[in-house]
Amino acid sequence: MSDRAITEKIIQALADYLRRNPESIDPKHHLRDDLGLDSMAVIELLYKIEEAFDIQIPDEDLVRLSTVGAVCQYVEHRLAPAKRPAARSRAAKSRKKN
Amino acid sequence: MPGQVVVTGLGIVSPIGIGVSEFWKAALAGHSGVSTITSFDPFPMDGYRSKVAGQVRGFSPERYLDSVQAERVDRYAQFALVAAKEALADSGLQMAREDPRRVGVIVGAGMGGMVMGEREITQLYQHQRPHRVHPNFIPVITLNSASGIVAMAHGAKGPNYTVSTACSSSAHALGQAMQCIKEGRADVVITVGADASITPLVFAGFCSLRALSTKYNDQPERASRPFDRLRDGFVMGEGAGALVLESSVHAKKRRARIYAEVAGYAATSEAYHMVIPREDGEEIATTMRLAMADAGLTPANIDYINAHATSTTIGDAVETKALRQVFRTRADKLAINATKSLVGHTLGAAGAIGGIATVLAIHTGQIHPTANYEEPDPACALRGLSSSVQERKVKAALLNAFGFGSNNAAVVIKRYAA
Repeated sequence: MSDRAITEKIIQALADYLRRNPESIDPKHHLRDDLGLDSMAVIELLYKIEEAFDIQIPDEDLVRLSTVGAVCQYVEHRLAPAKRPAARSRAAKSRKKN
Repeated sequence: MPGQVVVTGLGIVSPIGIGVSEFWKAALAGHSGVSTITSFDPFPMDGYRSKVAGQVRGFSPERYLDSVQAERVDRYAQFALVAAKEALADSGLQMAREDPRRVGVIVGAGMGGMVMGEREITQLYQHQRPHRVHPNFIPVITLNSASGIVAMAHGAKGPNYTVSTACSSSAHALGQAMQCIKEGRADVVITVGADASITPLVFAGFCSLRALSTKYNDQPERASRPFDRLRDGFVMGEGAGALVLESSVHAKKRRARIYAEVAGYAATSEAYHMVIPREDGEEIATTMRLAMADAGLTPANIDYINAHATSTTIGDAVETKALRQVFRTRADKLAINATKSLVGHTLGAAGAIGGIATVLAIHTGQIHPTANYEEPDPACALRGLSSSVQERKVKAALLNAFGFGSNNAAVVIKRYAA
């Protein structure tokens, strides 16, 4: 899956959750401050993302996922471990931990 | 006139000991009862983010209960039976001499009979044989099975009900029991908090909520660390606590030993969020103020807090804010501890187990350590926290308990003065 497709899929998931137009959601948007997601809503969103991309997101990675763009980048890294050695070791660790 | 409401008996089943003397010895030593969950037989723990819990090990109900009674109820109700039996024996109350209609049972339980519940549901969906659902399924999973069986075990025919407000259930049970006696509806209320739901589905649910500690899977005894800078979530626990509450008039008539007085109670809702507390701590502060007012006390009278303190990042910080709002500079003069550092978060049992720790602090003058309190967190900086025993003559204490569903409870327990 291309990075662009990943971003589109995540933004669509967010739009569905928030019941708003996907075009109104920007990667720069902060999940809490701009989109109004509380910590439980973020957890629900990540639950959907885990299912959609068949990944597991360990708790310790949550702090990094504060903006739409950060979530997209995180998923891109997790889905393309071969291209990015740093991401691969993190993904391997998280698989082990989970 | 019922007079004051006093505590005359204690009983406990906990991850650091079955029986009050074993529990208290371990509590004063700051022992952690948190251990690794080896498996949810038959499937392994690989898929679980958290792998530790405050488990009651080596509990064989037959040792404490007759086998028929023990077989018919779920683990949480077995815990409740054992704790209640100890508390009644400790109180010296003899049911044969009591008017059974004046003895009530109030239980706090958050999850209830989940061991059988999960097993029966799994079997039904797997095999699709509805006629094989166990005939005892409904009585076991009904949330008042513990309050029912405790009353049956002792012939207590007074008010009998279960309070279910998640993690604050048995703090509310203590408050309800106090009110029940104050209103003259019972002389004695056997008050219990019990939960035993370290089960595959419930544990997975808490993992999915991302509420549990996951950093200390290899060092389980370090996982529950309320107020510590390196805390990362709560640790699930299981157990039961029982307190015999009684009118002081009744207790004195039968020359009972009085541990302490339950003097005030408040119940509120934040009406805010199912699982997140209001970050400014105002609702918790209000709850504590109302409980003190109910007891006729002010912040100046309180010298010890048994904190709710689950070891989550936000929860402990919010409780600290609330304590600062209520006690201001006095907040640093209070002795504070977190019983969950020892036993994990026993959910519906937490209020009763914290209540026992509070009663014993008043009775013995010793505040048990907060285990794993190693590095103070600026967001929870309270001078009265310690990883060692604190000697303190406690005159009055607050027991805090907050629950999912946006509810808060606070109970004032104080030294008894006739």
